[in-house]
Order: sequence, then structure tokens, then C-alpha cells
Amino acid sequence: MDQLSALLVGLAMGVLLQRVGASSPALIARNLRLENLSIIKFMATAIGVGTIMVYLASLWLPMHFEIRPAYVLGVLGGGLVFGVGFGVGGYCPGTCVVGLGEGRKDALLALVGGVFGALAFTLLFEALLAPVMKVLDLGKLTLADVLHLPALLVAFLLGALFFAAVAWLPTEPHHLSR
Amino acid sequence: MQGGSNTNAISEPLVTAHVVRTQGLPRWALLGALFGLVSATSIALWGPIGVSGTYPRFIGALLRQLAPGYAEANPYLVKMGGLAKPETFLVLGLLIGGFAASRFSARRAPRVELIHSSETSTAARYRDAFLGGFLIIFGARLAGGCTSGHIISGITQLSVSGFIFAAGVFASGILTARVLQKGGR
Repeated sequence: MDQLSALLVGLAMGVLLQRVGASSPALIARNLRLENLSIIKFMATAIGVGTIMVYLASLWLPMHFEIRPAYVLGVLGGGLVFGVGFGVGGYCPGTCVVGLGEGRKDALLALVGGVFGALAFTLLFEALLAPVMKVLDLGKLTLADVLHLPALLVAFLLGALFFAAVAWLPTEPHHLSR
Repeated sequence: MQGGSNTNAISEPLVTAHVVRTQGLPRWALLGALFGLVSATSIALWGPIGVSGTYPRFIGALLRQLAPGYAEANPYLVKMGGLAKPETFLVLGLLIGGFAASRFSARRAPRVELIHSSETSTAARYRDAFLGGFLIIFGARLAGGCTSGHIISGITQLSVSGFIFAAGVFASGILTARVLQKGGR
């Protein structure tokens, strides 16, 4: 049952990512060069809507929350490595799968590169990475814990902040400044 | 509201989409709100979305066939488990979704598009895509999640790790994309 709903969730995500252009590495590169902010604004909108929805829904429904641990060195270092790959390739682990579905040839190369990246990580994990990864582990911490505020309130504040930011930021900064 | 969409249409057909406003709502806002709804629904149904973990699970499934002794002894492969997880089906859904959306789209995605000014041939695009793919999965596994698991699901759940990961990604991503653009001029 979970498998079926995950398939449907993936299907919907794939359609939305394709339609917004997130599976285009050229558009990702333009977003990272800050020439066009449509994908960044798409993500911020998704997070703003999502965070308000899940914490509202949690008042009535049991939710499958799964907070990932904030081991600062590994998470930040991994993010920095990820960012370089994102900038060079223009794909993320999900959008290259969507791109492959669209028939993009370079998406297949990104996917194969990812499989090799996973292999390298697996081989290096025990000896090299596991000891360093967990340095500065803050545990499964949320912004609500840090601020000592109710999660629903923080979700509304964060959502409002993201909505304000996407409404205020131009989608094509260069067009406006011209 | 800008009339600048035509200038992009020649080289990057998909890019025009974001400039077009439909019924007052920009396309990214409408699709973003729908994406937020889907990610919230996922947390209600089975759990937060996440993609990058499927890559090492695929490696695990391969090695369990090719080198069962090694696969059973590797703590990371044991920790990640097998492919019979909802996440695997999510990735399958992404593939079908991408295929279906482009099938029913008036504009077909280009087979290959160059993305930086320093990328001057198809071979260079393939090289960059492979290298980028390697680094995003290596980085994501180091961090314990990627764009979906840490940034979308993570920040949606107000997770501190999601904010830290996003800060790292955008800091080095913006720098890398700018350097690669300058490099070709």
C-alpha cells in the first residue's frame, strides 16, 4: 500500500518537476547564476505550503514525521559537495530521473555518475567517512525546538516568510534591472 | 509581466514557461503550491519524500548478487537495506511522471542542452553531467539526504539539518555556476 502511494506521489512530483522546468539543467544553472529564480521560488513555495499543511493536518491526523539528524560537519560538508555537483551538472538526484523520462541523454550520464558516487561512498564509508560524519551531532533537532515555540506557529511564520520572499523577489532579476 | 520570454525561446524552449502568467498566478507559484500539497500528502500517507537513498540501495542490491559476503559485511549497505521500500517506487514514479508530462507537452525537451558558457560541446555536457551526478550523490549520502529529503521534506518538517544542508548547497552551487560561466568567456 505504501509502495502504491509512493509511486503515485513520485508520479505527481515527476509531472510537476517537468512542467516547472526543474528537469532542465540549463534552467537550474540559470537559477544558480541568479539570472532566473523560478525554480528557487518554486521550491520555497512548495516548502511554505507543505510546512503549513503538515502541521495543520497533524492536529487531526497521525503524521509520519521523520526528522533527520543535524550532524553539522557531515550535513554542511555534504551540502557543499552537493552544491558543486549541482552547479556542474545542473541535475539533482530526482530531476535526473525525471529528465531521463523526458528523453534527455545527459540525464542518463548524471544517473550513472550518481550510481558511481553511491558506490564510492559505500566503499569509503566504514574506514573514512563514518568517523568524521557524526562530528558536532545536534541530533534530530527542529526549528521549533531551537526557538522554544509550538511547531504550528513556527510553520506559519516560516511559510509567511517564504511567501513574502517569493512575492518580493523578481523571477528574472536581469529583466527588471534593465 | 515582462515581454522578455521570446529572447529565451530559441536556445532554451522550456525556460519560457516561468514568464507566462496564467490567471494571475505565476507558473512556479501554482506548481510549487501543488508540489507542497503532494509532499505534505506523502508525510500523511507513508513518510517524507527522499530520492538519494535509493542509489546506495541499488548498489546494495547489485553487490548482494555479485559479492554477497562483502554486501553483508558492509555496515552502510546493511543500514540502508533493500529496495523493497516506498522510496524505490517514488523514484519509479518520477521516471514515469517525467515521461508522461513530456509526452503530453506541446514542447519536447531537448535531447541535450549546453548549460554553461564554458561547456562548448556535447562531450563536455556528458562529462559535466556524469561528474555532477557523482558529486550530488556522494554529497547527499555524506549529508544523509538531498534536495528532496533534506531541503523539501527537511525544511517542511522544520528540521535544522535541512537548513544547514540548503545553506551549503546554495553557497557552493551559486559559486560553481558563476565560475563555470565566467570560465568560458
